[in-house]
Amino acid sequence: MTLFLQFVLTGLVTGCFLILATIGFSFTRRVEGFLNIAHAELLGVSAFATWGCNKLLGWHILPSAAVGIVVTAFAGLAIGRIVYDPIRRLGPSVMLITSVGVAYAIGGTIDALIGTGIRTLDIPLATSIRFWGLRITDYQLIVVVLAILCSASLALFLNRTKTGLAIRAMSANPELAASRGIDVKKTSRATWLISSGLAGVAGVMLGVIATLSTDIAFHQILQILAVAILAGLGSLYAVIVSGLIVGVAMDVSVFWIPAGYRPLVAFAVVILVLLFRPQGIAGSASGK
Amino acid sequence: MTFARSGAALAALTTALTAVQPAFAQADGVTLGVLVPLTGELGEFGKIVADAVQLGVDEVNAAGGTKCGPLRTVVADTGGSAEQAIREANKMIDSEGAVAILGPASGEMVALVDLAKRKKTVMMSPYAGTITLNEIGGDYVYRTVSSDLGDGAASGMWLSEKGYKSVAFLIQNEESTISPAQVAREAVTAAGIELTDMIIYNPGQPSYQAELISVLSHNPDAIYLAGGQESGVTVLKEAAAGGYEGEWLLTADLAVPEIFDAVDPRILNGRAYVELAEADSSLPEFKAFAELAQEKTGAAPGPFAANSYDMAMLSAISLEAAEACTGEAINAVLRDVTEGGEKVTTFAGAKAALAEGKDIDYEGASGPLTLDESGTPAGAYMIKKAEDGAWADEKFLPASAFE
Repeated sequence: MTLFLQFVLTGLVTGCFLILATIGFSFTRRVEGFLNIAHAELLGVSAFATWGCNKLLGWHILPSAAVGIVVTAFAGLAIGRIVYDPIRRLGPSVMLITSVGVAYAIGGTIDALIGTGIRTLDIPLATSIRFWGLRITDYQLIVVVLAILCSASLALFLNRTKTGLAIRAMSANPELAASRGIDVKKTSRATWLISSGLAGVAGVMLGVIATLSTDIAFHQILQILAVAILAGLGSLYAVIVSGLIVGVAMDVSVFWIPAGYRPLVAFAVVILVLLFRPQGIAGSASGK
Repeated sequence: MTFARSGAALAALTTALTAVQPAFAQADGVTLGVLVPLTGELGEFGKIVADAVQLGVDEVNAAGGTKCGPLRTVVADTGGSAEQAIREANKMIDSEGAVAILGPASGEMVALVDLAKRKKTVMMSPYAGTITLNEIGGDYVYRTVSSDLGDGAASGMWLSEKGYKSVAFLIQNEESTISPAQVAREAVTAAGIELTDMIIYNPGQPSYQAELISVLSHNPDAIYLAGGQESGVTVLKEAAAGGYEGEWLLTADLAVPEIFDAVDPRILNGRAYVELAEADSSLPEFKAFAELAQEKTGAAPGPFAANSYDMAMLSAISLEAAEACTGEAINAVLRDVTEGGEKVTTFAGAKAALAEGKDIDYEGASGPLTLDESGTPAGAYMIKKAEDGAWADEKFLPASAFE
């Protein structure tokens, strides 16, 4: 039983990482109206920016992580303004295909700048905390805490601030929002900064937990898509539930079936849920 | 009438071009394509291969070049992608006139088999151990390293001899890691060692905690980890964080010095071993190569450097023995120059023996290179141990150990 609970606990941590990686993606989908496939590569931008400050410049991990998040936020903003803004009128399909190109451009740039091999941050080895026969590492705990903080902060921002309310208005009906005096460009800029900043947070944790190679960030896109689709494209709150469902399902499945099927389990869960709720977990609230 | 005349002109032009080809090759030399992963996870290996091939080419040219002229190389990056490898190989053959392409890794080699036969161009790898080549290699497709099954046998032998009571297997979900692991598993179970877990995992994950839960709960004496660098390093760190204090047997991808930068050496020192195909360092051919590498590069040869050097040598000697300066001609003699004749260990020696009309048997820096019907040599293996933040030779397993 303890072994099974350990799988559940590990699954919850995996789910929290998926929430971090997906929440910015879903936010972009909700406000900008398209699936930004390049979002996963922004995790790589953050992870390698953090690595550069931490390993090459010898900085402590905290300022390095801060730089990683800020660099990623502004990289996302720049990409949004330079690439996506001029083609917004062409519709979400064109923007989606363009985002695949952007993903390749970011990946290629990282390849060229970083080079071959693997990279790791200069941080201490994780320490295990044990309780009731279970164990969780300090870095896993940070992932859980950050997932809670980011989700709560985003919810508060969207519900309590003027810019947050403007973003919600624009995501519901851009034309009406503009006609009511909302600055669409400013709102869009805020959206890109926030969604890319969230990718930055996920990227830092990717660097902390994983071993970095230049293609590891893009490997996360399928699971990000699984979580976002399960949540109901556009819904933010459902991303939390969806991330936990996918994370726990993937990791607990290892208790019964070979680990090689973990990605299959993620999509099996998505298909199963969508059979009964085609609109995703968020249901009719999706996109509102 | 016009069509017939054009056809005749085309035929004449083709004949003329074919006729001048050897003269062209003689004047400008012969091109060898070096197609290696210079970016991505295996980038470190790709550079070692490219450098060692160049070392061999320089030696051949210093000895007066082949009868087809001096060798030159064109280098391209596969990026670890089969599609990119095919694209670059086509370019090398069609635009650069490469007669042989050296250096692709397992996945790319398998993808290039059809192209090699269609374009009559030799493909050779210093590290493609994939068992798929056991079936489809041998005609235009060769390697200077043994099959992955040999790695599995070497790993199994080591795990069995080490006296472990229990072992867990963690294997990256790839054909090149699963096949040898299955061979190693047979040896382990035959030796009566308890196999606590055999887990096949997908690479590219941020964490492998879920895969490690069962393994760590059984606390085996050793973990056989057949993984890439990205997944392997994460697994090593997460197992250590989870309290694992047993030993490790790692596979060749982790046999690079960079592992000690990525993983705290305290996790590895004294209790991690790595198995890899390696030349017998006691052989005079290897010693001569190691000295040459040290002199030219200022460093000891890296993993698969001797096998890579031998690719250049085999290409050059085959050109010397062949009746024409083409891939087809190289393919016709390549296996012949590795068996059944006067033993030669250098290009200059082979050139002299061939000039005297002798049959030759090239024995290279990586060891005897007698190629079987699948174009594969028998392998020798080294077990290295992590000591003071570096890999140190622990036990050499010669090819004869597996007979």
